[in-house]
This record gives sequence, C-alpha cells and structure tokens, in this order.
Amino acid sequence: MEEKEHILKVLKKVKQALETKNYIKIKHLSNKIIHNASIHQDPDVIAITVIIYSLSKLIERESYKEEENWDKFYKNYFQNINNMIISLEKNNIEKFRNEVDANRKIINKLSGDLKNYIKQVFRRAKINKASRIYEHGISMEKTAKILGISIWELAEYSGKTRIGDVNLGVTMPIRQRIKQAEEIFQ
Amino acid sequence: MKKSLIFDAGPLINFAMNGSLHILEKLKKEFNGDFLITKEVKKEIIDTPLGIKRFELEALQLKSLYDRGIIKLADLTPQQVNELRKKRDKITNIANTTFKTKKRYVHLIDKGESAVLALSSILKSQNIVIDERTTRILCENPENLKKLFEKKLHTSITANKKNYSYFKDYKVIRSTELAYIAYKKGLFDIKDPRILEAALYGLKYKGCSISEAEIEEVKNS
Repeated sequence: MEEKEHILKVLKKVKQALETKNYIKIKHLSNKIIHNASIHQDPDVIAITVIIYSLSKLIERESYKEEENWDKFYKNYFQNINNMIISLEKNNIEKFRNEVDANRKIINKLSGDLKNYIKQVFRRAKINKASRIYEHGISMEKTAKILGISIWELAEYSGKTRIGDVNLGVTMPIRQRIKQAEEIFQ
Repeated sequence: MKKSLIFDAGPLINFAMNGSLHILEKLKKEFNGDFLITKEVKKEIIDTPLGIKRFELEALQLKSLYDRGIIKLADLTPQQVNELRKKRDKITNIANTTFKTKKRYVHLIDKGESAVLALSSILKSQNIVIDERTTRILCENPENLKKLFEKKLHTSITANKKNYSYFKDYKVIRSTELAYIAYKKGLFDIKDPRILEAALYGLKYKGCSISEAEIEEVKNS
C-alpha cells in the first residue's frame, strides 16, 4: 500500500478527533484522503475514506445514540480504528486489511434499526465519495466501479452538485454544440 | 450506410429517471436511423438496475425500448466484434496513459465509455451522446482535463499530448441537446412555454454535465 504513511497520519488524527467527537474535523479528514483515492484508486484507501466519512455522519446524528447497542457498536468501531493504526505502525498490511474487513463485520453483526441506519449511512457515504472522485475528473463509470455503486446512484447524486457548472467542463460554445445536434437530426 | 447515433449509458438513464423516454422514442422516428448501444451500456441501463428495486421501473421502461428496437445493439459481424474489443482496450489504454502524476498514470475512463468510442470508430459514425464530463472533455479539450486534475488533485500533471489527437474526431452531444431538438421539433406533449427550461434542468439534475449558463443560452437560442 503506497499511501501507508498518509493513511496512518489521517487515522491518528481521526482518533484524536473522536475523543472530542469532532465530526466536522473527521469529515474534513475524509476529504483529505479523497485526492489520493482519485489518483491511486486503491481499494484500501477508498474503504478508509468511506469508513471515516460514515463515522463523521454517525457522530453528527444524535438520534442514532438512542438506539440499543449503540454504545457497544461505537466502542467496537473506535477499537477497530485503533487496530488499523497499530497494524500500519507495525507495517502489517495484511492485518490492516483484515481490520478494514472487520469494520464491515461490525456492522453486519448488528441487528434491528441500528443496522439498517448504519448500512444506509455507509451507502450514502459511498455515493458522496464517488461524487467527489467524479468531481476530481475521473469518469462516471470508472468512479462507480471504484466505489461499488451504480451509475444511476452517482448520476442522481452528482446532478444535484455544482460539478456541471465548473468552467473547465465547458469545452465548446453551446451554439456550436446545438448546431452539431441539428446537423445530426437533419 | 444507415445513419446511427451511439449512446453512452448516462443519457438513457437520465431520460428514464426524468420519465421522458417517450421523447427519445419520438426523436428516433425523426432521426431516421439507428439509436445504438454497446453491450456494456445495455448491462448498465437494463441488466444491473433490474436487480435494484429503486431503479427497477426505469430499467423495465428501458428494456421495453430495447425490446421494441428503439435502442439496439449494433449489428456487428464476428470480425467487427473482435475489432471492437481490441479498439475498446486500446482506447482505454491510451486514455488511461494520457495524464500522469509524479508517480503514476491517472486512470480516467472505463471499458463502457471506451466501448462507446470504439463502436463509433468502427461504424465510422462520429456522433455520440454522452452526459458525463470526463469522456467529453477528453475528446473536446483534453488540456482542460489536465487543468482540472491539477486544480483538484493539488499536484502537477504531465500530459502525453500525442494522445490528444486520438480523441479529437468524436462529435459529442448530450441529453440536453436532444431535449432541445425535441422541443424545436414540437415533440413534447406539454405545450407550456416553460417546458424546455424544465426539461433541461431536469436532465442537469439527473447527471447531465451542463452549466446553468449554458442552459440559459439554450433557452434563448
């Protein structure tokens, strides 16, 4: 994993932010990894981006904390991140990947409403991160594949952002493109 | 040779999500040629969403379009199929080795988008409909893609500019230009003067990469 040092640094900062439940900082940290995720398209980096962003959303919403099993879930999640840090510090990439996988298992072990809520948070986090990678210039299909979502979900989400309004995306005068379309239909 | 217009998945998904596939059907009659898709696009617009409850209805509507031949797979000889595969892989490879950070190439596009370009080359039909931004910029102004990467990735990018010319002959239109043509030809059932604006924003908000400034200009055309 090429980005080991960077991921380790970010995870340590996430751990610090978790102690004060600073979800804004955690969200910001997930965005810091997205540049690397766009370039490297490394599944480990992508997974960490989604895990961190989801965490920020889980802390942000007070209502989740009233759910049964929340305390146990949060404790396991915190421990999971700590284990990722220890694995990377020991340069044990295999163990780190096992911990990334364990994160998914923590959620799968849950039951009832909390499981459904958290699964939804993760799904939305994937779509949000996909939209960011698409915004960085990677194509829609490629991005959807990297994140394991459908083009439908990405198109719907990215359409609501300002991605289409970025000046660099305007590559031809609109009148010329209309003329092109008119010629096709002549 | 029969006229053809080749569709990426995005514009078809977009018309479906906007409940406007009937417009596409009317445009097909006006076009007097084929609306073609690749097998990769068929998978994205029909096969995959049929397994997702949220998009199943739209997928069934697209399937109906496909079953009635409004959109169809290109009728290729086995030799052309082979040629398409090779061309698709070549395009993917060229696109994905055009921009490089200090350490590695930026992988821009995937096989589905490449297959659209490949089919267009094989059929010598340069006209393609793509809503997503990256492939369109690559074809029309790859230097903008370099600038976008540098801006967003906060790193310097080296471009293999020799690759630029490989994409320059494709003529790209979007779902929004199709909506404009439909409007000009009176194909919308609703005769309210606001229908063009409504259709253009509907398409923008479901993923067509068009700016508000462009929409305003289209409205005044």
